[in-house]
Amino acid sequence: MSRTSSHQGMRGYLRADGRKGIRNFVVIAYLVECAHHVARQIAQAHQTEGGQLIGFPGCYPSDYAHRVMEAMCTHPNVGAVLLVSLGCEEFRRSALLDAVEASGRAAKLLVIQECGGTRAAIGEGRHWVTQALAAAHAVETVPLDFSDLVIGTKCGGSDGLSGITINPAVGRAFDRLGDLGATLMFEETCELIGCQDHMQQRAVTPELGRELKAAVEKADRYYRELGHGSFGGGNIKHGLSTLEEKSLGAYAKSGTRPIAGLIKPGTRPPHGGLYLMDTVNDGPVRHGIPNINDTQTITEMVASGCHMIVFTTGAGSVVGQAVAPVIKGVSNSRVYQRLADDIDVNGGTIADGVETIDDVGERIIAEVVSLASGHPSKSESLGHQEFALSYKTYEPAGPACLPV
Amino acid sequence: MTQLVNMIILDEGDNVGVALRDIAAGEQARSANGLQLPAAERIVQGHKVALRNIAEAEKIIRFGVAVGIATASIPRGHLVHIHNVKSQYLNNDEDHYE
Repeated sequence: MSRTSSHQGMRGYLRADGRKGIRNFVVIAYLVECAHHVARQIAQAHQTEGGQLIGFPGCYPSDYAHRVMEAMCTHPNVGAVLLVSLGCEEFRRSALLDAVEASGRAAKLLVIQECGGTRAAIGEGRHWVTQALAAAHAVETVPLDFSDLVIGTKCGGSDGLSGITINPAVGRAFDRLGDLGATLMFEETCELIGCQDHMQQRAVTPELGRELKAAVEKADRYYRELGHGSFGGGNIKHGLSTLEEKSLGAYAKSGTRPIAGLIKPGTRPPHGGLYLMDTVNDGPVRHGIPNINDTQTITEMVASGCHMIVFTTGAGSVVGQAVAPVIKGVSNSRVYQRLADDIDVNGGTIADGVETIDDVGERIIAEVVSLASGHPSKSESLGHQEFALSYKTYEPAGPACLPV
Repeated sequence: MTQLVNMIILDEGDNVGVALRDIAAGEQARSANGLQLPAAERIVQGHKVALRNIAEAEKIIRFGVAVGIATASIPRGHLVHIHNVKSQYLNNDEDHYE
């Protein structure tokens, strides 16, 4: 049971801001959909070597999208950045380039309209990325401790066993990782509807407790007005009957420790502990569904500094993420047997009566250590690099959200 | 845990159990704490079974928490799901894919 105490294998890449990455990726980022094809062609040539594709499809300006893109491009797992712009979109590309350069990373801006079109841009981009990857691969690593790690958890395609098997096992792992000094976050206030009173009691201050509860109530109001909650056919097919039943299972991922703060996408937790991410727009219903899929929520946690994501599923998910590797756990052995190539941890053994929640929690921690030691997760080795970003609106958080 | 256990009761006050594996109609649903009842219909893994008669408008209690409201009386041993439960919050059980 004590294999987690030996983590000598964990190595990181030290960045100028003091953070350490568990990967040294070169990111290729398109700044509007019109530049997506060129960026994809550049990235595909380097997909197995650490060239990672991200981007924002919108042409209209968005403070939220800019914040997320800047956080991605200056993420500790990223060593160098190629920005791919069409040239006439409203993304503030010079500001992003300045921010990346100021972070001490190699950066280049490629403007398709200025460099001769698709063919010329792809050629120039591939040449730059080849050199950036060679430099990234030559960087020496430094030792990494649990206190250097930021880990997020997310569930997708939950079923009636999620809240009994894999999610409590993640909660157990989170308790242990937090005790070892890690920074942890859970998310999706719309999937915590029904848990707000319990969560309020776990806050480190009464003021934060009220903020946590208010964030869930905001989600409830928002989704009622939208007329569509985060609960649907897949959940129902696999045994969940209501949104609040799904919430109860999702909430188990957060473990039992006190909640240290409430953060918004792009906000970095100031110190170790457990944080809730507020994933719902502030203000009136605007830009439609807050997070269009699991990947956008994962992306928001990565924007807040997560080195890796622990993702749980019941129906079965295969996703990864472009900047932070994803570990996947499943709630039942039936789906594990069908998707064993894609799933890192089978929590169905708990329902089968052959393992305990503690046993599976230990296996999750072992996967965390393995990732932080440079070994790929299943989705990572299969080349998954999902990324999604759409329009949202946030107000700055109040002072009670991050108690000193 | 014995081979016979095929249902979990998460909290002693719960009025539903959760199937740990598929339970056939007429099969005994058995929990680790010794409770046993015949399943009146098929209960698929991860789905809920009524541990006692549940009246219409009564809350469905799982893990000590209300996770819905019965929209019909649910006899002991029957499946507890969207055909007889509604949300206390937002219902979106009309959205189906496939």
